Amino acid sequence: MKFQIPIGPQHPALKEPISLRMTVDGEIITDADIRLGYNHRGVEKVAEAKNWIQNIYLVERICGICSHSHSTCYVQGVEKLMELAPPKRGMYIRYLVSELERVHSHLLWLGVAGHEAGFDSFFMYVWRDREIVMDLLELISGNRVHYAINTVGGVRRDLDEGQKAKILEGVATLRKRSEYYLHIGANEPSFVARIAGVGFLSLEKAIALCAVGPTARASGWPRDVRKEDPYAVYDEMDFEVGTADSCDVLGRVVVRVKELLESYKICEQILHKLPPGDIAVKAPRKAKPGEVVSRYEAPRGENIHYIKSNGTDKPERLKVRAPTLGNYPATVEMLKSGFIADIPLIFASIDPCICCAERAVSLVNIRSGEETIVRLSDLRRRSIEQHKNAPPKRNAVWPF
Amino acid sequence: MRDADIIERIQRELGGKVAEIANPAPRRFYLKILPPDLVPATALLRDRLGMTHLSTISGVDKGETFEILYHFSIPEADLNLRTEIPKDKPHVASITPIIPGAILYEREIQEMLGLTVDNIPDGRRLLLPDDWPDGQFPLRKDWKHVRPAEVIPGGKS
Repeated sequence: MKFQIPIGPQHPALKEPISLRMTVDGEIITDADIRLGYNHRGVEKVAEAKNWIQNIYLVERICGICSHSHSTCYVQGVEKLMELAPPKRGMYIRYLVSELERVHSHLLWLGVAGHEAGFDSFFMYVWRDREIVMDLLELISGNRVHYAINTVGGVRRDLDEGQKAKILEGVATLRKRSEYYLHIGANEPSFVARIAGVGFLSLEKAIALCAVGPTARASGWPRDVRKEDPYAVYDEMDFEVGTADSCDVLGRVVVRVKELLESYKICEQILHKLPPGDIAVKAPRKAKPGEVVSRYEAPRGENIHYIKSNGTDKPERLKVRAPTLGNYPATVEMLKSGFIADIPLIFASIDPCICCAERAVSLVNIRSGEETIVRLSDLRRRSIEQHKNAPPKRNAVWPF
Repeated sequence: MRDADIIERIQRELGGKVAEIANPAPRRFYLKILPPDLVPATALLRDRLGMTHLSTISGVDKGETFEILYHFSIPEADLNLRTEIPKDKPHVASITPIIPGAILYEREIQEMLGLTVDNIPDGRRLLLPDDWPDGQFPLRKDWKHVRPAEVIPGGKS
């Protein structure tokens, strides 16, 4: 007798709208089926009706975590179509944001992995540190999520010496913390016991099912677009491709922490080598007829855009393949012969997207119904003022 | 391997199965392949050149024909296999038996462009809703989105 359990599209254990149908034999999953489209927005069709510049901001909104990777992948393709050579300083700033985005995405994922594995103090530590890199991104671009720093021909904001010093300081702090997390992630017995051997994906299956990014690298397949197809500045950088050969969730944790450490290295190299000069060149409104395949290593793996132009100011076709789609066939394979209780952990191990951008708090006065928007810093100041005259708290005493 | 070596290697392995090889940028190759040769050529390239990683499949509506591009990559180069099928008889062979990771991309182009992938192991809908009307293919150039009239239960008051 076979049972099918539907999980999703809306389910407390999954943060993304996706429908998984599990065929189970007792507690063990024998087969899984995926149905997509609950979040399909028709971006490829919309892109055909917008011009080259408008599309930068459209593709940036494909993802709420790796927004910069889509806009960079698109922009570097359009620059090839328009035969532009963006200035070096602009490129360095663009890929500095890329690496910082990778750091924030991997820290976010580490926290989620800790949470799904039932290790919530790890989650809180990691997400506290993620604020450091979020603040750095805000310092550079003015935004925490949709940086809007790319434009065709370069970037839109420059860096000054003070910002450089702050970024270097933040990266140094994060490196120390990440080394500690690598130690915990690979050694803390209860955490390792929960994630080791879960979500097994063999090397042969990873290759056959075209897995990408950390999912493939954790199965011992050392492919990274930054290394094998070094776009823009990556041929001038010194970094390693992090891999693991345990083929499970533990391996994916280790790979991502290794990549964090490599990203810090790249950030420092970019800042030390940052050349003087302009940050952007002027781009034409139209592109010559042609086609280009642009590849980019997003935090979740290979991101690919196929752009075809017809000589007007709008693309003829823009095909986007985000890394998560490439990892779904591998996820089905990982779920097979696993336990029902492992579904969230396995599904999270390919890195789903969660968005967080709210900082302003809206306060409603219950008596008058009046609404005021308050910044977090004001809220903190108010709470300190309110509790200034409160009697000091004593430590709790056990009632004997 | 340099780019010239790769071109020579592809021509040696595929022989007459490749109609045209273009190399517009370093490391980027566009191979034009006729529809009947698609499956054998993919199998040859996988076995002889180690071309196992399929990034995605793009379909382009060119008016009279559909152009289908298979974006493969090997560590040394990106190989884009291009084939063209007529719009009035839109059939293309499935490469899923050779590259198992192609299944989701084939399901996607099938419903988005309205073509038939022959021998596809699983041809169900992937992205479009279950109540999507038949014969509507969003990525065709002549398809325009018409927002359905809003129905308020009980009428507007």
